[in-house]
Amino acid sequence: MIKWLRMYRLLIAASIRSRMEYRFNFWFSTLMAVIINVVEFLMLAVILLKFGHIKGWTMEECGYLYAVLTLSKAIYRTAASDVHHLEKYLVGGDLDALLLRPIPILLALMSQNFQLKAGELIQGTAILTICMGVMIRQGQMTWTAIPLTMVVIMSGAVLLFAIGLLTATAGFWILRIEELQNITEDAARTAAQYPMSIYPNWLQWLLIGGIPVAFANYLPSLYIVRQQMDWWIIPLSCAVAFLVLGAALAAWRVGISRYQSTGS
Amino acid sequence: MLFLVLARKTYARNLQYRSAHLVHNIASALFGFIYVSIWMGIGENRPLGEYGLTGIVSYVAFNQASLWVAAFLTNGLGMEQSVRTGQIALDLMRPVHLFYHLMCKEWGQIAYQFVYKFLPIYALYFFVLPLHVPSSWQTFFWTAAALSLAAYITICLNYLIGALALWTTESRWLYWVNYAFSMLLSGFLIPIEWLPKTLADISRSSFYPYLHYIPTRIYLGMEDRSALIGAVCWCAAFTFLCLAATGFMRRKVEVQGG
Repeated sequence: MIKWLRMYRLLIAASIRSRMEYRFNFWFSTLMAVIINVVEFLMLAVILLKFGHIKGWTMEECGYLYAVLTLSKAIYRTAASDVHHLEKYLVGGDLDALLLRPIPILLALMSQNFQLKAGELIQGTAILTICMGVMIRQGQMTWTAIPLTMVVIMSGAVLLFAIGLLTATAGFWILRIEELQNITEDAARTAAQYPMSIYPNWLQWLLIGGIPVAFANYLPSLYIVRQQMDWWIIPLSCAVAFLVLGAALAAWRVGISRYQSTGS
Repeated sequence: MLFLVLARKTYARNLQYRSAHLVHNIASALFGFIYVSIWMGIGENRPLGEYGLTGIVSYVAFNQASLWVAAFLTNGLGMEQSVRTGQIALDLMRPVHLFYHLMCKEWGQIAYQFVYKFLPIYALYFFVLPLHVPSSWQTFFWTAAALSLAAYITICLNYLIGALALWTTESRWLYWVNYAFSMLLSGFLIPIEWLPKTLADISRSSFYPYLHYIPTRIYLGMEDRSALIGAVCWCAAFTFLCLAATGFMRRKVEVQGG
C-alpha cells in the first residue's frame, strides 16, 4: 500500500511538472474556474439575500452545505481527475497505454492530467470559514464542529469519488458515459447543494438510497448544524462512503477484465 | 439552399445519437425539478410578486426547456477542435463565409435540440407541473421569435469564443464562464427584478436578458413583442462583431496540428 502511495505521489509530481510547462494555461484555467464557482454560488446567495431562508435553512446553513460539497468535490477531482474523463480513454483507445504500465490501472488513471482545483478549494474554504464562524458566534454550533466537518469533507470526497468511479466503470459496458455522469454526478451534486427538505419525497429517496450524495453533506449537517439527528449519522456517512467505494472497486475489477481496445 | 443543406446534415448526424440524448434529457429534467423545488420551498409561505407560485414554477420550467435552444449550443461552434486538427485552415478557404458556414450548421443543431430535447422536456413538465400554457397563438409566435433571436445571439457568442481558439488553447473555458454569467444575469433562475441593484443594472445593460428573461416573460404574457427590439439590436451588433472577428482570423492562422 505504501509502495503504491509513493508511486502515486511520484506520478502526480510528474503530472504537475508537465502541466506547468504551460504555465499561462494553468493559471488561466484556475482563474476561470474561480469565476465560474463564484458566479454559481452567487445564484444561491442572491436567492437567500432576497428571501432570507429556504424552508427554514438560513444563508449560513445553506453556505455550509454548499462549501462542504464544494471541498469534497475539489478533493476528489484533484486526486483523481481523469477518472471523470474515462470515456475519452475508452473511445480513443488511450487506456491501452496505461495497461502496459507496471502499476494498477486505476492508480495510473488517477495520476493522469493532475489538476489542482485551487479555485474551488479557496472558495470552499472561505465560505465554510465565514459560515461556521457566524454559527459558532451565534452558539448554533461549538468548536467540535470543526474536526467533525473535516471528517465529513473527507468522507464526502471518498463518496463522490466512489460514485464517479462507479459511473465511469459503466463505460466498460456502454462506452459513452457523459450522459450518465450528467445524472449521477452533475445533477445529483447540484441537488445536494440545497437543503433536501425542499425536494419531493421521491427525489429525497433517490438522493439517499439511489445516488447517495445526501451522505456527503446534508445528512451529516442535520447533526452538526441543526442537531436534528444523533451523532451516529457521522460514522454512518463514512460507512456508506466506504461501502460505495468497495462496490465501485469491485465493479472496476470486473469492468477492466471486460475491456476491449478500440484498436488503432 | 446552402443553409438548408448544412442544417439538415447536422440534424441528420445528431439523429444517430438519439438514445444517448434522451438519457441526457433525464438529467436536464432533473435539474429543472431541482430549481422548481427551490422556488416551491421559497414560495410556500410567501407571495412571489407578479409571478405567484404557479407563475414562478412555469418561469423556471420554461427556462429549463429553452436552455436547449438558447444556451446549450456547440462549444465555440467546434472551432477549438478545428484549430487543433488544422481543419480551420480549410474552412477559412471555402467559398462561403466562415461565420455563415458555421451558423448554418448550428441552426441544424438547434432544430434537432428543439425536437429531441426542448419538446420532450416541455411535454414532461406540462404533465407533471402546473405549467402555464398561453391561450393565444400570437404568444406562441412571439415566444418562438424571441427564442430564435436568443439562439442567434448565442450562436454569435460561441463564434467569438471559438475564434479565440486561434490565439489561446483555453478558449473552452470562456464557454463555461459565459454559461455561468448567463445563469445569473439572464434571469434563468432568478427574475432580473429580484437581483441586487448592481447585478440587475449590469444585466439590463447587457444582452443576457434576451436569452431567457424576455422570451419567458413573453411566453407568460408579461411582456409584449416590443421587448424584442433590444434583441434585434443586439443581434445586429453581434453580427458586426463576428464579421470583424473573421477579418482578424484571416490575417494569420496558426494551427496546432494537421
